[in-house]
Amino acid sequence: MEIRLPALAEGSDTGTVVNLLVAVGDRIRKDQTVLELENQKAVAPIPSPVSGKVTQLHVKVGDVVLVGQALVSVEEESGSISVRGESVEPETPSALRQAQGERKGQQSAEGYLYTSRGGFPPPTSPSLRRMARELGVDLARVRGSGLGGRITAEDIRLHLAALQGRAAGPVPVPGKPPATKSDFAKWGPVTRKPFSALRQVIARTMTDSWATIPHVTQFDEADVTQLLQWIKKHGASYEKKGGRLTLTAVLILALTPVLRKYPIFNASLDESAGEIVYKEYIHLGIAVDTQAGLIVPVLRDADKKDLLELCRALQDLADRARNRKITLEQLQGSSFTISNQGGIGGLHFTPIIHKPEVAVLGLGQARRGILPLSLSYDHRVIDGADAARFTRDLAQSLEELPESEVQA
Amino acid sequence: MSPVEPVEAELMVLGAGPGGYAAAFYAADRGRKVILVDQERRPGGVCLNTGCIPSKALLHATGVMRLARESEGRGITFGDPHVEVGRLRAWKERILDRLGQGIRQLAQKRGVELLQGRGYFEDSRTLRVETESGQQFIRFEKGVIAVGSRPALPTLFDLGNPRVMTSTEALDVADVPQRLLVVGGGYIGLELGTVYATLGSEVVLAEAMASILWGADTDLVRPVMQYAQKAFKEVRLAAKVLKMETRGKQIKVSMELTSEKKEELYDGVLVAVGRAPNCANLGLENTRVTRDGQGFIKVNEQQQTADPALYAIGDVVGGAMLAHKAAREARVAVEVMTGEPSLFKDVVIPAVIFTDPEVAWCGLTEADARARKIAVEVVRFPWAASGRALTLDRPDGLTKLVLEPETERVLGVGIVGHGAGELISEGVLAVEMGASARDIADSVHPHPTLSETLMECAESFYGTSTHLFSRRRGEAAGS
Repeated sequence: MEIRLPALAEGSDTGTVVNLLVAVGDRIRKDQTVLELENQKAVAPIPSPVSGKVTQLHVKVGDVVLVGQALVSVEEESGSISVRGESVEPETPSALRQAQGERKGQQSAEGYLYTSRGGFPPPTSPSLRRMARELGVDLARVRGSGLGGRITAEDIRLHLAALQGRAAGPVPVPGKPPATKSDFAKWGPVTRKPFSALRQVIARTMTDSWATIPHVTQFDEADVTQLLQWIKKHGASYEKKGGRLTLTAVLILALTPVLRKYPIFNASLDESAGEIVYKEYIHLGIAVDTQAGLIVPVLRDADKKDLLELCRALQDLADRARNRKITLEQLQGSSFTISNQGGIGGLHFTPIIHKPEVAVLGLGQARRGILPLSLSYDHRVIDGADAARFTRDLAQSLEELPESEVQA
Repeated sequence: MSPVEPVEAELMVLGAGPGGYAAAFYAADRGRKVILVDQERRPGGVCLNTGCIPSKALLHATGVMRLARESEGRGITFGDPHVEVGRLRAWKERILDRLGQGIRQLAQKRGVELLQGRGYFEDSRTLRVETESGQQFIRFEKGVIAVGSRPALPTLFDLGNPRVMTSTEALDVADVPQRLLVVGGGYIGLELGTVYATLGSEVVLAEAMASILWGADTDLVRPVMQYAQKAFKEVRLAAKVLKMETRGKQIKVSMELTSEKKEELYDGVLVAVGRAPNCANLGLENTRVTRDGQGFIKVNEQQQTADPALYAIGDVVGGAMLAHKAAREARVAVEVMTGEPSLFKDVVIPAVIFTDPEVAWCGLTEADARARKIAVEVVRFPWAASGRALTLDRPDGLTKLVLEPETERVLGVGIVGHGAGELISEGVLAVEMGASARDIADSVHPHPTLSETLMECAESFYGTSTHLFSRRRGEAAGS
């Protein structure tokens, strides 16, 4: 039979092969991991549904595979050797077994597989088992450094680093030939670090967007002196209700009527159909800076939420993004994106549009009450005059927001 | 609200037992809008109303009677106990009311709506609830089925006669039958048999298998069997009840034993032969939920049923029918529906039997190891060597560790003895943490306590237990 890529998570249908764990001729058990797949979320082990002998490999490390695609061909075992999780190994004196374990331990991480005669999971703690599940790590593949192969947090970290190191090497950024090798070390000491899977995803999407959309960025400014005072004044009462009142939340409140007035900014271009798709919903992508890189979770139905709900939702998304608790679904379906650098500094910048959207709003730091607005738009569907009207209306909407709207 | 207007909820939990309310509360703690539906006036399910809690209350009360009697040998004599069944029952009810009220308050504080009524699935996303004030419809995004189980009463025994009881009726303690037959030597039969025997019933226990507490390790069962033989009039093994019929104020029972057939009259019969899932009249046929041959709802390791909108947890999915198993499954279900990769896998579920003495175990049992041909090393520490056990007059205990020979990892722990149910938690932690016998031996346990038996048991694996001399191991350790 052919082992095909099973459905992963809702809405997730591709992944990159980061590790092939079987070779042609290998005998594999049911539920044994045949390869490891990385998608935007995590590294997922793909188990074999059957026991048998590997006859053909259809993919190699670095391949991007789709759900349903054949991965490996397996000749199923006929009843003679029924190999299951609790297969009974021939009796081996314990000293010999330990020596084998040692030898196994010295191999590279690739070949390692924890086996227990009783079919028990590798020794570790309940908290680390939970962590491994969340990271998509198959603990049987992690070499435990403790007594009796006990797995520590450090062991999991090293295992992940090894996987990511392997992921970084062979996965090319599509549409970009490998750069000529420069000998940077010739000019001074350098450090090399892996280009992580998440960075590669960012690289691909940014390159694609920048190369295919004619970007223009419109600058404007809004006087938010009054707003900032109100945020200070009413912040505490939001805090009590479990929301943190921020300028981003208030800005969304001012932004959604402007998006309604100029629906083209909340649209997409369907080039194949030759149509512009106007969306009746406003789902805002909110760019969040995390340790791993940029993540853009989606705030759904931003126009239907009151300020307290917006505050709570923003806080929740930011927390989830930073803890890598975002589901794939929460990263999809945005119709307009906000990138706020105000917390860090800087004034105007030229944000890149989050394809297939047609506009993105960049916020700088409000100095002396003046908030810099940078609106990048797709000049194929939007003209400069509209962009200027959009940013002007947004500035006015912010400046004229009544205090009653900000009160809790 | 008008009765036809459906209520909307992100999560609907059907059944407010220890699985259902745990799921509802956990989901509410994670910001979900939750409605919890239960048909009983007092939430808490079987555990609170007709299971764990009332049985433990009665066992405590009758245990005090036994303690008083046993203290004669220590020179302390009480008069004969006078039992007022009505007050005993009222005391038990007060405990249940207080706990039920506690669940209501916890629900209220979390904003979980508790709706009393019988639930029926109209479809995968709609529950019709028959409440006292009429029909109410709930439209939900996700549902958790936690409807639990009930005592099985085979038609053979179902005479429609209140003298034939299941655990539910027996826990009401309507009266104390003079001659009581307990059919089934599992934990329910033994626990309730103990209660009635102490209250004054002459108890005959009939078990169809070759041992009571079938499935538990024999060395753990032995002290319980010894107690039962003393406390009960008779313990019959490999005994098959063929027929029951009403005879005036008594029940005539025909029973087949290994060498003879018996026909006897009893004043009461307690049938404790297992539990069956509560799947009838739920409208499950209007959903995509599937069930196994015994009627339990089929779920995967994420507690998902075959219906994408519905999860199931607790007794209704089968396996160990224990409140703490249901509560863990509740957490798994809620974590899965909120997007976490949670699994009910490699979870250590302790089993506790509140007999006299108590029996508890977790992880791999010796019987499992033998059946699955897993090589293990077993070390035992008899409580006769425990100072604490002797001061309690309870040397009839045993603590044992089931170890993986090469790694000395603790795969299972078994305890029989006074308070075994409280002691087993250390075993659960050891198995969950993949602790080695050395880890337990090197953790100082306070003296004089029964918990020391775990430490000494681990030490005896290395032949260095202070209070147990083992030449074999001692030599091994010296080499």
